[in-house]
Amino acid sequence: MANLYGGKILFADLTHNVVRVVPTAHYAPLYIGGRGINARLLYENVDAQTDPLGPENVLLFGTGPLSGTLFPGSSRTDVMCKSPVTGFIGDANMGGNWSAELKHAGWDHVVLQGKAAQPVYLYIRNDKVEIRDARHLWGLDNYAAHRCIREELGSEVKVVGIGPAGENQVTYANVFSSLANPASRTGNGAVMGSKNVKAIAVRGTQGVQVADPEAFFAACVAAQRVVTGSAYYPHVHEVGASDSNTAYVRSGVKWGQTEQFPAWESSWDWAPFWKQYGAGRTGCTGCPVQCMEAYRLPSVGASVISCDLYTAFSAGLANEDLELWFKMVLECHKQGIDEASAAMVIHWLMELWDLGIIDASLTDGHQMEWGNREAIEGTFFSMVHRRGFGDVLARGMRVTADYLDAKIPSERRGGHSTYYYAQQVNNNPMFGLTDRLHSQALGYAIGRRSDLISDIDPYEMTLAMVDCEPRYSEEQKAASSARLREAAAALAGIDEAGDIFGYKGKATLVHDMGMTIGVADLCGTCKWHTKFNGLDVEPKDYVAALSAGLGRTVTTEELVAASLRMRDVERALECKLGRRRENDTIPERDFDKPMARGYWKGRPGVSRDRLEEMKSDYYTIRGWDLETGVPLKETLVEYGLDDIADDLAALGILPEGGSSGAGDEPPLAAILTKEDEARRGATGHSAVRS
Amino acid sequence: MAERSLDGEGSDVTVALQGPVATASYSRITVDVEKCVGCRICELACSLKNYGECNPSRARIFIVRDEDGGAVATIPVLCQQCEDALCVAMCPAAALGRNAATHAVVVDPDKCLGCRTCVEVCPFGGPSVDPRTGKSEKCTLCDGDPACVKVCPESALAFVSAEEEGLHRKRAGAAKYLDHLRSVASGPGPHSSPQGAA
Repeated sequence: MANLYGGKILFADLTHNVVRVVPTAHYAPLYIGGRGINARLLYENVDAQTDPLGPENVLLFGTGPLSGTLFPGSSRTDVMCKSPVTGFIGDANMGGNWSAELKHAGWDHVVLQGKAAQPVYLYIRNDKVEIRDARHLWGLDNYAAHRCIREELGSEVKVVGIGPAGENQVTYANVFSSLANPASRTGNGAVMGSKNVKAIAVRGTQGVQVADPEAFFAACVAAQRVVTGSAYYPHVHEVGASDSNTAYVRSGVKWGQTEQFPAWESSWDWAPFWKQYGAGRTGCTGCPVQCMEAYRLPSVGASVISCDLYTAFSAGLANEDLELWFKMVLECHKQGIDEASAAMVIHWLMELWDLGIIDASLTDGHQMEWGNREAIEGTFFSMVHRRGFGDVLARGMRVTADYLDAKIPSERRGGHSTYYYAQQVNNNPMFGLTDRLHSQALGYAIGRRSDLISDIDPYEMTLAMVDCEPRYSEEQKAASSARLREAAAALAGIDEAGDIFGYKGKATLVHDMGMTIGVADLCGTCKWHTKFNGLDVEPKDYVAALSAGLGRTVTTEELVAASLRMRDVERALECKLGRRRENDTIPERDFDKPMARGYWKGRPGVSRDRLEEMKSDYYTIRGWDLETGVPLKETLVEYGLDDIADDLAALGILPEGGSSGAGDEPPLAAILTKEDEARRGATGHSAVRS
Repeated sequence: MAERSLDGEGSDVTVALQGPVATASYSRITVDVEKCVGCRICELACSLKNYGECNPSRARIFIVRDEDGGAVATIPVLCQQCEDALCVAMCPAAALGRNAATHAVVVDPDKCLGCRTCVEVCPFGGPSVDPRTGKSEKCTLCDGDPACVKVCPESALAFVSAEEEGLHRKRAGAAKYLDHLRSVASGPGPHSSPQGAA
């Protein structure tokens, strides 16, 4: 066991019922851990021919060097595979308590390969690994399965696994950890289901070793103080995402992509629900934020809510029945399906219905009217259990569109495919945030998993909703906006970057956040502790703990480089899997559309030209080819990825020469300087958050 | 050692008392169960401080955390530093005693047999046998500067004297009672139904 690492990667070959061990040291120097090592492992194990739901795909679970330690937010697991939704990278990050437990058992990563002959689950107890029969668990929802496994193996066992949606290989299935902590988006749960693996249960009592305990303790306490000393901390600590989601809905930034249903969002407010049904705060192991709200609604039951769960089945479907909304959240947890994807699929059907494109003959009789309870529940469960039309929906938007197009005359579709009306990027149903803001459009377009969530501009996102914060005074709103604008402008070096409806300089903001989130992801800690969520942890704040823990000097530059290297591995792999510049886009229909609803209704949206210009800016910062979007050879070589450059060259996709406009300045130094400048302007209440 | 003047039988006697009155002024770790969210930062800090590793299974404070579906219950469990400690009384090797400076119940590892008697007699789950040393291990109050209290982000743990704790509890109880009276007086709030949100 090495300092801060379990030291071992577990490869479980389910086809042959054997496990083997690979030393983490083989990957750690360049890729650090978490998403970084996962990206490299995925590159080595899949290619364009890999069937995402075939035994040849791999499902990777990665902790980081700070997972399982006293460092704040240290129980994150990165889950990666080839995505059955996009055909590119499938990746999601989950919290809970499993990551820490896996580290305490002495493992850094778990790799599932092949396919078990019948349902199994893994039981890892320190060095001992068992592949156990799971036939009795198959069919159980997540809550019941976890309960059952704890009864079998003891109360301290930590479990991640799939629900019925994953078993049925619904492309939107997730891997559920605990509480409101699934690895959602991109269909990781479907891949787990395709391998016949119900769950991975872990118990670890070996702990994580550190080189200098006293210095490590001090560094972790200092990092905790950075989190709890953030100006936005009391807010997120007390009300989590409930208030910010109120503001998002009122502003029209979340689920603001349709003109179809009538406006009601100005009076939307989660505070009364929290006040009446809140059952306390909760969250992950090792986290001082505890960002989640536990609720108990007598008519439905108990559940935990965070982040997008607030809005998907409410605002997203024009559903004002909060009992129904709460029930759907609970069912997403139990069935193991990504709430954002499931709600967006239903949103799409409701919009098609509203436009008169589909009728009940195509939806198994469901009247897909906005907010219709029967339609929401019926469609959801038919998708989870793959019944009737639900079996089509479960295969994804592209397949569903082909199915519908064959049954609906072209003129009824306005001459478009039904796919045209789908809010998706590379077949991935979009997260609730609107793409009618420039940075967000860029985030969706270049997002590493065809999603904006880890390539996001938090300044624009927050500027867009701060005026709708229910608890802010007018002075607070004005002061907060001013600081956000200044910080964004300082970071990008262009005043327009601080303009919510501007587009120049936004690529720098998206890139910077992606780099910062990357550092958290490869350390195995939580990105919500960064400015992503309005808290102040930055790449430099990991350095002291990593240095004391590892017993060698770790620099901010090294971490930033590792984050950028990881992103280039991911991009190179996505290009190997077929992604190019033309895949980096938003739905055709969304170009030149003004903001559809809420506080910003009518403000101009994003044009194709501007998106293309921002993409070019982003590629230039990244050192990717402007024509194809493939990383340039010099970029790959700069980060020590010579073998990947050779691989891309052998495949004939490595760009010839340097067509990127990469400047003379060394990119790392430039980023760090800008970051320092921005930090000076961005501390305090400039808090950016999701 | 406190002294108290007692009136008895018309005579003026000053008696030196030992025990509860004496120790009420020593600080100990108190738990506010309602504040604990079960983040387990205390376990990680405890094991790091005492063993130089992050390992909740060696920590001397333990969070009982039960998740049943979407319901979470968490309770910190640790040595209560009892005045008449069963572990001290029952130890066959007389390995447990009081630290002179902190008044914490401590184990002498040289005397400890690892027989687990202290583990079995403790009503609170305070001591446990360390998986690596095989000896009884328990909270020592970190020599008067407990790591768990320092890092608890919810202030669910405090390092206070029994006197302070008693006063704090009385005040907290009174505040709850007042809150209740006020809510009864003002009737149901403006937001009484979930639909009221919309």
